[in-house]
Formats: sequence, C-alpha cells, structure tokens
Amino acid sequence: MAPALATGGGYSLPVFPYHRPAELAGARRRHPVVVVGGGLAGLTAACDLASRDIPVVMLDEDDTVGVRGASSRGIVYAQKTLEIFDRLGIYERIAEKGVTWSVGRVLADDDVLYTFDAAKGSFSKVPPFINLQQFYVEWFLVDRLNELPKAELRWKNHVAAIALAPDHAMLTVETPDGTYELQADWVIDASGLASTIRQALGAAMAAELGEDRWCISDVRFKKALPAERWTWAKAHFNDGRAVWQHPMADSVWRLDYQMGANADPQQIASGEVVKDRLRRHLGETEVEIVWVGPYGYRTQLMENFRLGRVFFIGDAAHVMNPFGARGGNSGVQDAENIAWKLAAVLMGAANENLLDTYNEERRAAAQHNIKVTGRTIRFLAPRSPFEHRLRDAVLDLARRYDFARALVDTGRLSVAYDYAASSLTTSGGLAVPNVAITHPDGTRGALSDLLRGPGAPFLMLCFPGVEPFATTNSSGRVFACNAAVGLLPIIHGDGLAALGGEGEVLVVRPDQHLAARLHRPDGTAVDGAIAKALGKVAGR
Amino acid sequence: MKTAPNIPDPDAFYEALLSASEGLSEAQREAFLLRLLLLLANQVGDQRALLEAIAAARAMIDAKPR
Repeated sequence: MAPALATGGGYSLPVFPYHRPAELAGARRRHPVVVVGGGLAGLTAACDLASRDIPVVMLDEDDTVGVRGASSRGIVYAQKTLEIFDRLGIYERIAEKGVTWSVGRVLADDDVLYTFDAAKGSFSKVPPFINLQQFYVEWFLVDRLNELPKAELRWKNHVAAIALAPDHAMLTVETPDGTYELQADWVIDASGLASTIRQALGAAMAAELGEDRWCISDVRFKKALPAERWTWAKAHFNDGRAVWQHPMADSVWRLDYQMGANADPQQIASGEVVKDRLRRHLGETEVEIVWVGPYGYRTQLMENFRLGRVFFIGDAAHVMNPFGARGGNSGVQDAENIAWKLAAVLMGAANENLLDTYNEERRAAAQHNIKVTGRTIRFLAPRSPFEHRLRDAVLDLARRYDFARALVDTGRLSVAYDYAASSLTTSGGLAVPNVAITHPDGTRGALSDLLRGPGAPFLMLCFPGVEPFATTNSSGRVFACNAAVGLLPIIHGDGLAALGGEGEVLVVRPDQHLAARLHRPDGTAVDGAIAKALGKVAGR
Repeated sequence: MKTAPNIPDPDAFYEALLSASEGLSEAQREAFLLRLLLLLANQVGDQRALLEAIAAARAMIDAKPR
C-alpha cells in the first residue's frame, strides 16, 4: 500500500499509519530490544537488529520522516555509512535518488585554493559520498523495516517515562488511545538532543554553546553548477565569511552561509535578507527557496553512553558542529556498533560485558569527532583578531604553495573511525573497505554481502600461504582470497589483494571492522581472536 | 627539537631577517613573520620538533613577569 503523503517545503513526505499497540489490549510481554526515536540513528539501529533476526520495536512520537515536516538536516552520507546501508539493503535506492560526488574545491573569494578527489585510492564498491536529504534516507529505512518480519514500527508512540530494573527497563508510552507500559530487556535511546530518557535518568550532558551563527538556504535555480562540494573559507559575496555549496536530490542545492557572531536568527532568515544573499552569491537567476534554517551549534557529550539497560546513540549521546558531516554519519555507526553486539548477546554468542564496549568504542569516536569539528570551527571562526590574521596568512600561502593547503580546514569529511584502542581488537581496529568481489558462485558483489545476518557473523579472509585451520566458532564464515586455501570457497577481487598479504588471515567483525590480522594462525589462534572480539576474557 | 647551532651562517641569516622587515608597518611586520613562521614550519616537517618549539617559546614568555 502506498503511504499517504503530506506536503511541505516543496517536498511530499509519507505519513505512516498508527496502530493500536497490543499492550493497550492487555498484552504483557518482554521485548528483547526497544528503540526510542525514528530518526537516522534509531531507524538504522532497528533495521540492523531486524536484519540480524532480532525482534525489535521502534517507538516514534511522530508519524512521518524528517523533523516536523521538511527541514533538511543532514545531507552528506560518507563511505562507511553507505557500506552499512548496502548491508541493510537500501544502498541502491540512495544511490539512485541522491547525488554521487567525490570532487571538492576549497576557495577563498575567487581563488580555488585546492581541489581533491576522494575517489582516488578508494577500493570500496560504494562511492566516497552521496548527498541526499536526510528524510529520504529515513524513508528508505522505514520501507526496508516494513519488509523485515522481526521489526515492529509504532508511530505516534511517545515515551513519557522510564524505570530501570536490574534485568529490564519499563517504558511509559503515550498514544492517541491512551498510555501503556512496555517492558524491554534493552532500550536504545535515539531520541536526539532533547532526549526525555536521558533527562529522566539524570544523566547530565554539559553543553558548550558556540557564538558562531549560520543560515542554510536550500534552493532550486536554473544556473548549472557542477556536482561538487565547494567550500569558501571566506567569500566576498558573504562579507568575507565562509560559504558552503552542495548539490542534493530533486535539483536542490544546500547553500550554507556563515553569519556574524551572535547574529539574530530571525533577521538572518527573513525573506528579503535571504533573497539578497542569494543574489550576491548566484547573480541574477530565478531562485526557488525550498527551506531556510538559521542555526547555531553546540558541543555535548555524555559521560557514559550506557546507563544500565539503556544505550544512547546519535544526538542523544553526542552533539557536535556539522562540519565534515560527522553527526549523522557517526549516529549510523553508533547504531551498527550496538546492533551487532546486542545481537551477539541475545543469540548467546557473547556475554553481557561485550555491551560495555559500545561505550568504549563509540565514545572514543565521538570524542575524536568533537576534536576534529572543533578545530574546523576555530579555523572558520577565529576567536580573536590575531587568530584571524594567522588564518589569513594560511589562506595567503595556500594560494601559492601546496604545503599550506593542508592547513586550510573547511571541514574534515567523515571517515570511518578505526577502533585502535578498543579492548576487542588487536590490529588497529581498521574499518575494512567494502571491496568489490566475485562470490564463489560467480555472482558479483561486495565484502559486506558476506556479513549479512542472521546473528552477528564473523568473517575470516584467508590469503595464499595460509594452512587450513579448524575453528570452533559456529557463526564464522571462512573464505580463501584469490587463490585456493585447502578446500575453502574462494572469493576473487583486485581490492582483496590490498587488504591482506601472504600467509595472513583477517578476522573481520560483524560491523566490518578488523578484529585481528593473524599470520599463518592455527585454529586456536583464530578462536582466540574471535573470543577477544566478543569481549570474552580468558578464564571466564 | 634541535638546540645545538644548526644555521650555517648565523650573521647573514640575522641580517637577512632584519633587511626583509625594514620599511614595514607593525601590521605588515606581523604578516611577514606569520608567513615566515609557516614556511619554516614546513621546512622542519617534524611534528614532535614543532610542538616542542611551540612549547619552548611559550614557556619563555610565561617565565617573564608581565
């Protein structure tokens, strides 16, 4: 059945049906996992769990995608995120609807300081970036969830309260038909910055508010511009401040303008001011304004991403400024991280102590992202006249000398965070690129095909020179790469050769991060690497 | 960070530094020094040496009464 559509801001958005929850008719049962919040992170978590054959209930207070209609939010989906979406089965739709790009240009006024092509050196089956309005990605995730028998989506279900017991959580949920109690073994809170669960549990999240102000204008126009990311560190058409220019779906462009410190949001977003700004940028051309959004930003980080039976993902756990598209992309990676670990525990493959490593790995990633985005903003919004002059010296040098281009920071684009310091990994925790392969049956695909559920399977990639070994791990999937190793099924691909060398076995986790790189291991060594990656401490 | 003498002709270097900053306003002199600093940093190309040099220079300022 095609969903009903609501229109707003030049877009038609789906309206999802509300169903009276079984609990209101007296049903009482314990759900293994409840996800609160149907945004990017929450829907990804639900989709990942259901793909792993774990029953999941998703609660969302609204009945559509996007935030109150058509606001734009995130637009850049980076390679690791696209690889996750490939595994979840929505990549093709994203690629079809979105704008694939890899070339970025960094400018100061009329000068291009440098150009990069992120596709160079990429082995992944998916491109470095696809731009797409966030609500489309959420919409595709909902469609996918509706195909998965283990997922139940409950729209217009608002979580009003939570109570924690040692072995479960009790949620109080409000619906149009009244209030009910919902029991869950585990709760994933993906309800964003204003999470009521986080507040109800008294988890402080100190906020650092920035003075820098920006104003997004999402527009359509006739003028033909290249499908590239252009960032001006300073632009004369924006009074010497920064500007972003990005293409996305439906011929809409995201133009994002840095405003004066502490600028009044209403003033910078008012009709005439916006039109005048667009005229200065684009010249005389017919412009259709789709959405205008003034914003400031903040930095927030929870002390611990786990509180008892509750895991916090995405903006509920961490908020950073938007440069480099690290917010949405890290939320998706949070979701993947907790999903495979919960699946491993719920299927009995790991102990509950594995779940503590969600905080260990993803809080480290959030800290890293906050550091990186903080550096960007200090470059774009110098804090003193001296910082401004130092920044201008960099821009001046960058016009002439290559070395200074590396110092120009208009956002370091999101890349997968390697779990180098994780207690689960031994070989750098590298995010293994999703290289294109030919499967043993001759069909073409990618590495992520081998990691699809159910459960939380590990992948063992064996390179020539490895002696056949016997692993006791029943969910392990073992393949020879490009040449025979014993009787193992063989996968082929040029990209595989770049991943491992003679005599190596790569033990790959369910989230496609490297657990261990072993040299001519026996079965005991492989089992040990998997046990470590599942958080099993020797002797337990 | 190197602290033993490493500039082949110190007097000529110092003279060149003075000559290049002659006839400049205070603002231009700062602009000149910032560009020189960044050019030299790239010649050093050693992260540890750069960070040690930044810390050493700052420590000298901090050690003086304001």
